[in-house]
Amino acid sequence: MLNVTLFPTPCYVFGVNVGLSVVMAWCVMALLLTGLVLLNILVVRKMKPAPTGAQNYVELVVDGIHRWAEGKVGHAADFVAPVSMSLMVYVFFNTIVELFGLPPATKDLNCTFAIGLCVFITVNVSGFKFRGGLRGRIKGLCNPSAIVMPIRILTDLIAPCSIAIRLFANIMVGGIIMELIYMVVPIILPAAVASYFNVLHVGIQTFVVGLLSLIYVSEAIE
Amino acid sequence: MSLGLIAIGAAVAALCGAGAALGMGNATGKAVEAIARQPEAAGKINSSLMFGLIMMETCAVYALLVGILIVFILGAKA
Repeated sequence: MLNVTLFPTPCYVFGVNVGLSVVMAWCVMALLLTGLVLLNILVVRKMKPAPTGAQNYVELVVDGIHRWAEGKVGHAADFVAPVSMSLMVYVFFNTIVELFGLPPATKDLNCTFAIGLCVFITVNVSGFKFRGGLRGRIKGLCNPSAIVMPIRILTDLIAPCSIAIRLFANIMVGGIIMELIYMVVPIILPAAVASYFNVLHVGIQTFVVGLLSLIYVSEAIE
Repeated sequence: MSLGLIAIGAAVAALCGAGAALGMGNATGKAVEAIARQPEAAGKINSSLMFGLIMMETCAVYALLVGILIVFILGAKA
C-alpha cells in the first residue's frame, strides 16, 4: 500500500525538524543562485545594443514575460512582472527536480502556501500603490456597489489558499499517479507518462501560477 | 468503517469530474464558436478561456485530492 500523507516528510537540520521540502528548496535555490550569478557575470554585464548568443535567450524570456504581464495588468507591469517571473522560476525549478527522482518542494503544503502569501502581498501592495492609498483600495473593493465589499474581501482572502491548494494538489496527485503506474507496469510506460507528469505538467503549473498572480493583480488595480 | 463504504465515498468524490468536464466542454465549445465568428479576437478569447479552464481544473483536482485521500488514508485504516 502506498504511504500517502498530507504532512511534510521530517528532516532534521542541527536537531531542528525543518521538513524535507525546505531542505530541497534550499538546495534548489543555492543551485539557482549560482546559475543566476554566473549568468549575470557572463551575459548581463556584457550586454550589447545588438544582442548576440546567450543574450538573445535572456532577452527573450525577460521581455516575453514583461510583454505578457503588460497585456494583463497594463502600466503596473513594471512592478508586477518581476515578482511574477520570480514566482514562476521558483515553482518551475522546485518542481522539475521530480524528474531526477528527488522530492519536489512544492509537494509540501507549507511551500505552496508561502507562494500563495507572496501573491497575496503582491496583490495588496499593488492595489494600494496603483489605486492611490487606502481610500482607493477600499473604493476598488466596493466597485459595482458597497454591498459586494464583504464578498470581494472574502475572494481576496481565499486567493492565496486557492493557489496553495491547487499547486500542492496537482504536484502531489501527479506524484501518486506516477507511483501507481510504477507499481503496475515497471517498464517503458512510466517513461512515457513521466514526459507528461514530470515535464509538461510542471510547465502548465508554472504558467498557471504566473497567470493567476497577474489576474489577481489586474482585478485589484482595475 | 467497511472498505465498501470507503470505495463508494471515493467514487462519489470523483463525480465532481463530471461537472468539471461538462463545464470545460461548454466553455471550449463557446470559445471555438467565438473565434470562428471573430478570428481577430482570438488572443483575448484564449486568455479568458484559459482562466476559466484553470478554475474548472482546480475543481476537478480538489475532487481528485479528496478521492485519493479517502482511498489511501481511510482505506489504510480500514
